[in-house]
Amino acid sequence: MIFSGAILLIATFGIVTRRGFADWLGAYRYQSIVLAAVTALIAYVTGIWEIYIAAGLTLVIKSIIIPKVLLYVTRNLEIEFKVETNPYVSLRASVIISAFLVALSYFLTQQIPFKSDPIVSTYLPISIALFLIGLFVIVNRRSALNQVVGLLIIENGLFLFTLTLTHGVSLIIEMGIFADILVGIIISSILLLRISRTFDSLDVGKLQNLRDD
Amino acid sequence: MPSLAEIVIGIVQSLFIISFSPLMVGIMNKTKARTQKRIGSSVFQPYYDIIKLVRKDEVVSDQSSWIFRSSPWINFVAIGTAAFFIPIFLSYSPFGLVGDILLVIGLFALARFFTMLAGLDVSSSFGGFGSSREMMMSMLLEPALFLTIFVVSLTYGGSNISGIVTTSADSSLISHPQLIFAMIAMFVIILGETGRLPFGNSATHLELTMIHEATVLEYSGKSLALIEWSSAIKQLILLSLIINIFVPWGISSSVSVPLLTTGLLLFIVKVSLLAVSIAFLESRVARWRLFRLPDLIAMAIASSMIGVVFYYL
Amino acid sequence: MISNLVLFQIPILLFLVGALSGLLSRNSRLARPMIFVPAMIGSIFTIIFSIDIITGASLKLAIPNILPFFNLEIFVDGVSAFFMLIIGIVSFAVSLYSIGYSKEYETKKRISVFGFLFNIFILSMILVVSSNNAFFFLIFWELMSLVSFFLVIYDHDKEENLKSGITYLVMTHFGTALIFVSFLLGYIQTGSFSFDSLRESSASFPLLVKNLVFAFAFIGFGVKAGIVPLHTWLPHAHPSAPSNVSALMSAVMIKMGIYGIVRTVFDFSGFGASPDFAWWGVLMIAVGSISAVSGVLYAVIEHDIKRALAYSSIENIGIILIGLGLSVVFAAYHLVSLSVLAFVASMYHTINHAVFKGLLFMGAGSVVYATHSRNIEDLGGIIKQMPWTSLLFLIGAVSIVGLPPFNGFVSEWLTLQAFLSSYQIPSTILQISIAFASLPFALTIGIASATFVRLFGITFLSRARSKHALNIKEVPRSMIIGMAVLAAACILLGILASLGISLISSAFHLPSQPSSPLDSITLQNNAKNAVHLSMPFVLILFSAIAVGAFGFIRTIGGKTSKTIYGTWDCGFGNLNEKMEYTATSLSQPIRAVFKVFFKPHNVTSKEFFVSTNQYLIKSIKFNSITKNIFEESLYQPIISSTLRVLDKIRKIQTGKINSYLLYIMITAVALLLFVRLSH
Repeated sequence: MIFSGAILLIATFGIVTRRGFADWLGAYRYQSIVLAAVTALIAYVTGIWEIYIAAGLTLVIKSIIIPKVLLYVTRNLEIEFKVETNPYVSLRASVIISAFLVALSYFLTQQIPFKSDPIVSTYLPISIALFLIGLFVIVNRRSALNQVVGLLIIENGLFLFTLTLTHGVSLIIEMGIFADILVGIIISSILLLRISRTFDSLDVGKLQNLRDD
Repeated sequence: MPSLAEIVIGIVQSLFIISFSPLMVGIMNKTKARTQKRIGSSVFQPYYDIIKLVRKDEVVSDQSSWIFRSSPWINFVAIGTAAFFIPIFLSYSPFGLVGDILLVIGLFALARFFTMLAGLDVSSSFGGFGSSREMMMSMLLEPALFLTIFVVSLTYGGSNISGIVTTSADSSLISHPQLIFAMIAMFVIILGETGRLPFGNSATHLELTMIHEATVLEYSGKSLALIEWSSAIKQLILLSLIINIFVPWGISSSVSVPLLTTGLLLFIVKVSLLAVSIAFLESRVARWRLFRLPDLIAMAIASSMIGVVFYYL
Repeated sequence: MISNLVLFQIPILLFLVGALSGLLSRNSRLARPMIFVPAMIGSIFTIIFSIDIITGASLKLAIPNILPFFNLEIFVDGVSAFFMLIIGIVSFAVSLYSIGYSKEYETKKRISVFGFLFNIFILSMILVVSSNNAFFFLIFWELMSLVSFFLVIYDHDKEENLKSGITYLVMTHFGTALIFVSFLLGYIQTGSFSFDSLRESSASFPLLVKNLVFAFAFIGFGVKAGIVPLHTWLPHAHPSAPSNVSALMSAVMIKMGIYGIVRTVFDFSGFGASPDFAWWGVLMIAVGSISAVSGVLYAVIEHDIKRALAYSSIENIGIILIGLGLSVVFAAYHLVSLSVLAFVASMYHTINHAVFKGLLFMGAGSVVYATHSRNIEDLGGIIKQMPWTSLLFLIGAVSIVGLPPFNGFVSEWLTLQAFLSSYQIPSTILQISIAFASLPFALTIGIASATFVRLFGITFLSRARSKHALNIKEVPRSMIIGMAVLAAACILLGILASLGISLISSAFHLPSQPSSPLDSITLQNNAKNAVHLSMPFVLILFSAIAVGAFGFIRTIGGKTSKTIYGTWDCGFGNLNEKMEYTATSLSQPIRAVFKVFFKPHNVTSKEFFVSTNQYLIKSIKFNSITKNIFEESLYQPIISSTLRVLDKIRKIQTGKINSYLLYIMITAVALLLFVRLSH
């Protein structure tokens, strides 16, 4: 079981190291497939059938629909907007930092209750690690389009978090989150398009120019 | 004290590595050729090459010193000695009483040190940039390799290779998720240490792609044979390490002829499979830009770091 | 049988004789033997004395009231004797080396002054490790610092050397002040300056005092040892001194800092096996890691051969501190055998570093002696004209990089084993932090290898890069023998590792394990898997493989001929030294990978034939600049803000009598008010 968590972390690292838009989207697709498998495993362990639905939805929405939508929305975007050429911290350093974040999240969750529950003790630290890594990715990247990947990692972390703590009781809430993230992605992509047309750049550092000095 | 039979088997194991290693290179070259829709040379071609080179006269640069001339020998001696510590088909090597996995790394470092010096010795720019790149790669691979060993030795107790392999032969990989991370790191490190794609392309002699080849560009004849052979031995040592640490299934744990035979056959099958898959991977990826390679090594380091976290928590 | 005391007095007398005869020699032709032969014999007796102490009983004597209230107390136990052994070995080799090396000072400078300072310097270090009283310890410590300061500025006609001397003087006094504070804290508790009373009653100090004693002593001795960020004097002072003195300073004097830390932690500070003290070790590991990595990173880009070696000393001090810190952490959790392992590793590296750094500095000195250039970009091809120096320097380089079968490997192997055993600490956060701390350690070893490939390769190999390296001669024989002594020690300590370990364990009264020097090292840190290392056997394997390979190749290939021909030049036909790889380009990938640390930037300046036509370029100058983050981001702000504050204070000095009287009046009123209000 901890084994599946390990694979999920490896998939997350795959996203962190990717520079280009299409690259990380592919890696995100892999991560979502792993996440769906993890969900199915939780469903199998707990024996709650609703979680199988959540797993299926994850598979369909995150590994097929969201990448498709993102690719579709950004198909006309020029390539220089899609590749993260100059992150604040170099990608190799950010991998090491991510490893530290994983260690941190394990450290943070060392004293939690429910430790006896194998699902909680296995996946809770990983979900928090995903959350932290996602935040770090957003902080680190300059290109607004590539910040979306951080959002997606956070979303996956949150999904895993609710799943482990509630054991899938709140299927409705999760459906809501799914819909939310889908709409969020679409809106942000459209916004990005607008930004890129107006500023000729997706560097969020340049949004400072909007400030009314 | 180890018994006589064990010592004999230990020596046989190391001689097996030394003699079998060119065949592994041949298998990898053949696989690469087939994936590129070529027929390729015979799998025994590396042996023919070594014999051919050994019989040829040598050309030595007039700028070079004894460092250049002795470097192939130091290389071969250091890496050949490292072969003594690697279990192949018997899970423990009597030479575990002499040294451990850190000594193996030290011996590799010794070989590399003199290779880099030899690259500088001939006063050509090729040797210089080869050494420069090798310096960069080796200094980054060192912490990655050590942390990987850290994870392995935490899991199986101690850095004695025989001990690691014996323990890992008794336990299953599934119960130690940290080893997955160590294995990924180890795989990346092996690609880097042996100069395979995406680190360097060992098949060409082009400025852009050379790392290891540039340092040994000036060698010919017997020296070149020694260099080629020792890098083949190093590659097989690393492959056997990854096999016997992570998937030691079928390795013999006692001295008995049927067990040893199965161990040997299984090892050959496993190592050939690994070699074929590496060669297949090589023909699937492009060489990375030199300054993106640290990203890959950082990936290996991070992977091992998570391995450490997984072990402790 | 000569008693301990006599044995102790002989070297002291000999060094004094050397110092006096140096002064009396008046720069005559006999000056060099008059100075250095007593120093050599004194060093031999120092070695004999220290081995006598290590194998036998310790020496203790007190001369009461040599000064009012202060007793001169001498106490030489195994710890002192171990460091005395280091002093003896290195100063023997250096004295031998100096006979040849100081030849060029004979004509140019006053060699008699040099001889006086040289002998006193060695003597002061011996006295530092043998004094048993805080007051005299500080006096000898100060003597050592002052004498080394004068030696640093011995070549005082160069302004650069004076500047580095001043930096050294300021920093070392900062350190001495902190050591003094640490001893004062002990004095407040015990009411005595004697180390004996500290030893007896330190266990009963309050925890806060123990922590403060440690902290002040660590920083104070750390300045001398050259820990980052208090290292700034070291890369300036060591290259400025004459090379034989740099060898002594780098190999021995900075070890006095280590001696102080070892003494304080395990003797005076009331350290006990309780997790309260674990942070001491953690601090040492952290500081050691930072020192190791930043030291070696500066070493790998440095062009000055002696400064690169000085930076590498910082790195090695870091490695020693990492071992010491591990030992403290293990001891705090009462893991005795592991603590011993880490301590042995640390002390082994201490003696190793003394041996190979002395050798390397002497080698660098020989290069400077022959070529008169310290810039490695000017050198090259020396191996053909100076084969012995090159070989000995290579032995030093291979040892310091930590390659088997040389001594650096043994100590680094032991340290790595201590790292691998850290899982026994019963604290998860410490386990993980120490596991992660092995990363900078391993990185340091990796970069050290690059550093010495670059230093040796650029300095000694390929062809000469400037006229400095042309037409040079091998150095005099005494210099070669001096280096060879330490090179032999490198090989000996590498192959007979058990000898070194039993030396350390009997010096520090540790539970020892190996009996014969040919034994293998066995570590039983896990019930099932013991780890072994047997260097003699590795050598047997080496020779077996070498003989086997040679036989195989000769039988298959037969005898073939070797043709000497030009290096392959792609048909260009005119390869010259300007096309070689330079030291800068060799380390360019490392600068690029660690650009956060170096902040490199390139400046290109072009010169044109005609300023209006920018296409006809006369010359291009390319300059690659790296920043020293410690000096620019830490010291510059401190210095400039201090100056600013001092500037403000200066305004008080108006020069008018009236204002001075006003100050007196204000003070008086304030005092009166204070007295009134406090009642």
